[in-house]
Amino acid sequence: MKLQTIPHDRIHPAARMYAGEVAAGKLSRREFLTRATALGVSATAAYGLLGLTAPAAKAQTGTRGGTLRMQMDIRAQKDPRTWDWSELANVCRGWLEYLVEYQRDGSLVPRLLESWEVNEDATEYTLTIRQGVTWNNGEAFTAADVAHNFERWCDGTVEGNSMAGRMAALTDPETNQIRPDAIEVVDDHTLRLNLSQPDIALIVNTADYPAAVVHPSFPGGNPVDNPIGTGPYLPVRHETGIGARIERNEDHDWWGGEDGAYLDAVEFVDLGTDPSAWLSAAESGEIDILYETVGDFIDLFDAIGMVRTEAVTAATICVRYNQNNPPYDNANVRRALTMAVDNAVVLELGYNDLGEVAENHHVCPIHPEYAELPPLEPDPEGALAMLEAEGLADQEFELISIDDSWQAATCDAVAAQLRDAGINISRTILPGATYWNDWANYPFSSTNWAMRPLGVQVLSLAYRSGEAWNETAFANEEFDSTLTQAMSIADADERRDLMRRLQEILQEEGVMIQPYWRSLFRHARPNVQNAEMHPTFEVHYLRYWLEQ
Amino acid sequence: MLFFLLRRTGTLLLTALCLTFIVFFLTNMEARLETLAKTQGSVRMTDAEVQGWIVRNGYDRPLVMRYGEWLGVVPGWTREEADGPLRGRCIDRVSDPADAATFCGLLQGYWGYSTRFNAPVGDVIATRLAATGMLMLWVMIVMVPSALLVGVLAGMREGSRTDRGLSTAAIVTTATPEYVSGVVFVAFFASSTVGLSPFLVNWGVIDGPVLFLGNARSAIDQITFWNFTLPVITIALYGMGYIARMTRASMTEVMTQQYIRTARLKGASFAAIVLKHALRNALIAPFTVIMLQFPWLLNGVVIVEVLFSYPGFGWTLVEAAGNNDIELLLACAVVAVIVVLTTQLISDIGYVWLNPRIRIS
Repeated sequence: MKLQTIPHDRIHPAARMYAGEVAAGKLSRREFLTRATALGVSATAAYGLLGLTAPAAKAQTGTRGGTLRMQMDIRAQKDPRTWDWSELANVCRGWLEYLVEYQRDGSLVPRLLESWEVNEDATEYTLTIRQGVTWNNGEAFTAADVAHNFERWCDGTVEGNSMAGRMAALTDPETNQIRPDAIEVVDDHTLRLNLSQPDIALIVNTADYPAAVVHPSFPGGNPVDNPIGTGPYLPVRHETGIGARIERNEDHDWWGGEDGAYLDAVEFVDLGTDPSAWLSAAESGEIDILYETVGDFIDLFDAIGMVRTEAVTAATICVRYNQNNPPYDNANVRRALTMAVDNAVVLELGYNDLGEVAENHHVCPIHPEYAELPPLEPDPEGALAMLEAEGLADQEFELISIDDSWQAATCDAVAAQLRDAGINISRTILPGATYWNDWANYPFSSTNWAMRPLGVQVLSLAYRSGEAWNETAFANEEFDSTLTQAMSIADADERRDLMRRLQEILQEEGVMIQPYWRSLFRHARPNVQNAEMHPTFEVHYLRYWLEQ
Repeated sequence: MLFFLLRRTGTLLLTALCLTFIVFFLTNMEARLETLAKTQGSVRMTDAEVQGWIVRNGYDRPLVMRYGEWLGVVPGWTREEADGPLRGRCIDRVSDPADAATFCGLLQGYWGYSTRFNAPVGDVIATRLAATGMLMLWVMIVMVPSALLVGVLAGMREGSRTDRGLSTAAIVTTATPEYVSGVVFVAFFASSTVGLSPFLVNWGVIDGPVLFLGNARSAIDQITFWNFTLPVITIALYGMGYIARMTRASMTEVMTQQYIRTARLKGASFAAIVLKHALRNALIAPFTVIMLQFPWLLNGVVIVEVLFSYPGFGWTLVEAAGNNDIELLLACAVVAVIVVLTTQLISDIGYVWLNPRIRIS
């Protein structure tokens, strides 16, 4: 693939070490790819380290032409850095591109970057910007443009800017803006980042969907209004709740050349949230591909002759306690409730067995730094005894969930097991519009989490004291300091030792019932190519094509 | 007559005022404003950010003041940002703050801005109403003639086999709510695995996988027989049964009148009696019922438009309510009041015209 230009002699030493671990059978290939590419090793070079050749990109065989119709929610657009739904990003992927891109196999591929290098302790990054990229208004794409985007991402004064949290190592905590010395424009195509603390996830974070690269003239607000970007498509129509149409921009000389942009147009159709409406539309030939198929509908879409693709992910649901609310401030209560639940049963009843059983610590076996802990033993009798010891045998617990098929079913399965254990529990189901109002503060409820490529990422977003998304109100000094330490370590085994401790703390403290890892599914007509489900819901329609 | 019209218009305005104030009050409760802030800002904003958003967008001032702004009798809010430009209700909609009017509300012809659809409410309501208008038109075209025909046929000879059969059918259709009949129709006509379509495909009658489309989204661009039949039939059948029953009752009553007997004794044919003597008198009651059916149809379109994802007025109402889109909901309320009261007015006037014995005012 011509995207890769990193010479082999600049391979990060840790990557060579990981390759050794793969050879020794200590590390899986997927984990290796995520870790090595996060350190700036190109995918080709990473495969090379394993003594393999990189799989040839299927996209190169694409046929040009055609319109793809996809069912997807079209939400009201807003400033990309405040995006809170992947769908918002997916619409704009045709003209707003990313520095790097997370692949289905767990590797990172540079897009607007050509390559990047990390120093030994992950405090200094050197980014090489791709040559020959132009904005669709004709201007050249330079390092200054990238620096401008880093400034935007670091601006913590903008409400809902979730990139600010991901860029903490570049930000001045006093002003909530980028530190003046954090970024240096070395020349037109080189940029140096100086981090205040080690952060191995910085580059991975720029692949996340709110990190779309915008033009310096972008004023914030709706990116569809004046669509200046580097990509090969342009929006033609965008109606919230109805649909959007994206067409190839024939006037723009896209850097990717013939390597993508096969479709003439992409038509997004928003058919609401009821999957039976999607099924009707698919049956009558109104749509070619779905955004995501869930629950019982997976079999139904199979039955009408659509092709299923699956992505194994670290996406999950957390049935968690908020420790600010009694009785959940008592660790014994949390442990007892958690103990009463068999996660395998929850997976079967709540998600039709379409995933992997998880271990209540929110680190997934596909995460590079996952440490294997002893298997969990559900113990309903012990759970009731523990509650009795706390004098809470008659306490009525209330489990709140959103009115959504699999989330509600999962909570029902959890509640049913608690009931079987003799615990008094009631269920409350709230409609989506009111549920998200207060999602972080319910005493006992469920939240679905999208996957992040590294295990430390989600731990720092959700379980570090005082974080905005810390819905458990978990505050543990040992956890915080261990996590900070782990986030500076590129070495696999060393980080895994710390990770084991982090996972143990989460289990010991009974922070949550995290029953399973979701596999994600999508259905498409047989003639839709290269459009498999992506673990982080990314719709790279740039590379989809239709068999004529 | 003029006084009657004036009084009716007054009632209409007063009802609209009361209803919109209730909607305004309900949508501006604090929890609802937080929902709005989170859908507009970011789902995972902190409480402080939510409060900041509410203040910055002018939702923190007294309820009555803001209701006045929406009406256009109180000057729109303005606010100086710490480092940015002047913002305000009237300023945000024009490019140059100097051009902004002091008042911008309903009285000035400004319906507000839809937060859900990112567009002026006036535009949203206009396009959606047009879409619903098309649906209603086809519903009326199908429903009224067939209902009258069924009613008249059933009422011509009370107690006959035709009457029993048609009446039973009418009761069944009107007793089946749209959310039941709609789903049944989709399963029967629009599924490639169950119902009628697999047989038709087998026999080579149809080319596509299904007979009718179970989804009416494509009808926005172009209405075809295949994509519009199911939603139209679903609404029409429900209303049809009711109107047919009314027509039948009215028809049977007319058929027992003295002048019908006179006509029969005079030797007029049965067809002439029905068409010339009975029909006009029998249609007075159904006319009112048809007019009063409009508000009920608005009800039905909410369910049917959501079921078939047809973005019309009812669909917009659901979207606006689900996302606490305050100004869009208010506009929906105004439209609903106007539709209900205007159809009532037309039905009253029409009644007088059809039945000379009745006087208004």
